[in-house]
Amino acid sequence: MHFYLFDGTAQGFYTAAFLAYADEQAFLACENTQIGLNDMTMPVTNDKDKAERVLKKLREYDRAAEAEIDAVLRSHFSDRAQRAFLYLRLLVRRRGPVRRMHAEPAVEGALDAVRKVRGETHNMTGFLRFTETAGGVMYAPCSPDNDIIEYLFPHFKARFGAQPFVIHDLRREKACLYNGKDAALLPLGKTELVLSDDEETFKNLWRDYYAAVNIPERRRLRQMRGYMPVRYWKFLPEKQP
Amino acid sequence: MIDADRLKILTNGAKYDVSCSSSGSGRRNAGGLGNAAPAGICHSFTPDGRCISLLKILLSNDCIYHCRYCVNRADSDIPRASATAEEICELTIAFYKRNYIEGLFLSSAVHVSPDRTMEEMVRAVKLLRTVYRFHGYIHLKGIPHADPALVREGAKYADRMSYNIELPSEKSLKLLAPQKTKQSLLLPMRELTAFRREGAERKKGHILPAGQTTQLIVGASPEPDGKILHLAQSLYDRVGLKRVYYSGYVPVVHDGLLPEKPAGALREHRLYQADWLLRFYGFTADELLSESENLAAEYDPKCAWALKNMHLFPVEINRCPAELLLRVPGIGMRGAKRILEARRYAVLRYEDLLRMRIVMKRAKHFITCDGKFFGAEKPARIRRSLVLQGAAENAEQLSLFSSPETALTSLTGEL
Repeated sequence: MHFYLFDGTAQGFYTAAFLAYADEQAFLACENTQIGLNDMTMPVTNDKDKAERVLKKLREYDRAAEAEIDAVLRSHFSDRAQRAFLYLRLLVRRRGPVRRMHAEPAVEGALDAVRKVRGETHNMTGFLRFTETAGGVMYAPCSPDNDIIEYLFPHFKARFGAQPFVIHDLRREKACLYNGKDAALLPLGKTELVLSDDEETFKNLWRDYYAAVNIPERRRLRQMRGYMPVRYWKFLPEKQP
Repeated sequence: MIDADRLKILTNGAKYDVSCSSSGSGRRNAGGLGNAAPAGICHSFTPDGRCISLLKILLSNDCIYHCRYCVNRADSDIPRASATAEEICELTIAFYKRNYIEGLFLSSAVHVSPDRTMEEMVRAVKLLRTVYRFHGYIHLKGIPHADPALVREGAKYADRMSYNIELPSEKSLKLLAPQKTKQSLLLPMRELTAFRREGAERKKGHILPAGQTTQLIVGASPEPDGKILHLAQSLYDRVGLKRVYYSGYVPVVHDGLLPEKPAGALREHRLYQADWLLRFYGFTADELLSESENLAAEYDPKCAWALKNMHLFPVEINRCPAELLLRVPGIGMRGAKRILEARRYAVLRYEDLLRMRIVMKRAKHFITCDGKFFGAEKPARIRRSLVLQGAAENAEQLSLFSSPETALTSLTGEL
């Protein structure tokens, strides 16, 4: 196999896709990939023109596919770049949308990843928990499977209006910051919080509510865990003692 | 601020309302806090497997009614509490800001009189919308016998309203909820439907964008499933409800007129499955069962229907019309959509359907893929492989001394 190793950026991906287009043995991956003895690495240097050429064709053939490829590249699959590439290549070869060709493995591979990413985004719009800091900023830590805080941001921006807030992805050490007007995406490691006076009170009221709204006669723990996987619990106050 | 004790009491009284959905409304944030997500969002799940989407709370649990099945009925020996409209608003905003909830589900026991109760509930909702400038989801419970003008006022601010029909027949209602009549529940539903249509015609804002729902208790009275589903169908068709919720009876109150045993989760589950067939799959209640029948426990309602109508099957997956595709067990809404889309590009084979996540375990008995049939030939075998409970009963941990047949099933996975 020919490994096209790129730097993880969108431009890198589209450059690699340009170079690998005609190569039937191509495998696209990010730079820190383990490769086998018989495999070859192909150098990819980011090239704006090459990336633009691919993107132009892509937009011409299918206007919604760029967003899908962005989602695939954010997914947690280790072969995400390859999935995105096979989808892109099929689309360009057929000169039109392919997302309805469900029997095609390249399509299902990519769209599965899209579903995973969008599904988790939807779940996180529910499971994200904000704490109020002393300065009045709402702060939400999370560590989602997929790289989705940029997708979460518009939802909360529309919802919170002028309320400043921060969504912090602890796993990828980055955060979306919003001051009520402007937004920024910054690398952010560990943070120290000073909570507002009411925070503990409301957190406890929420825990009381959670305990009271349960009907103990109907125990369905498996169902609960199915809908709300345990890995999300560490950020949920109702699941903390 | 509301204290923990009252919050617990008021939640305890409200939790038997099953409706939890926050879907159906696209309300925007018009300067203030909150908006509604059309698909609805679940924010947490409790150990009973239900989701928490809305802050489900009573304004008061001090009731003048004597509904036998209800924990809040007048002669029940429980602590009583009330909250003010301001307290409810404050709590909703605080929870919403932390993304604990998607909105408010406000209900109440009938306190002093239906009008007084409804008035206070409408005041809370109006306060939340206008003073606290909250644009998230609000589900408002209707109080039977309340003044229609009050109900209409509430409908202006809520996303969804609901009157609980409580029991599947007037006779049971009279017996178990003597103060409620069928008319006191159905009439306001009809009025709200008319009011909603009026609002849509005049384009003066959207009234109740998420429509109306209702709920009924299953297993507290003797009505069979058929009766319940026919009722649900008429509520969908004639009253224009968005959803009917079924609440499997749980004996929290001991009363001579009520059964001692719970209705069971399976019965509730089967009713919901059948309800989905009515709303999304183009089935009518008549096709599924007659008024005096119960749904089969061992098969899901779609399998049961298909087994009764084997003359329609198998269908060819590459040519079958959409309506019939939806009636194949193992093919749901998404599966049908995918098949319809994919077969325009290629002839679909068995492996393709597997990859498309069609539940072939059930579907294979009812379809052919490019002319080939992969299911069982004999109806008895099909039945056996579709029985859900059988799987658990026959499953067995293998030992050295297991019979050869059992050992074989562990290899093939067939039960």
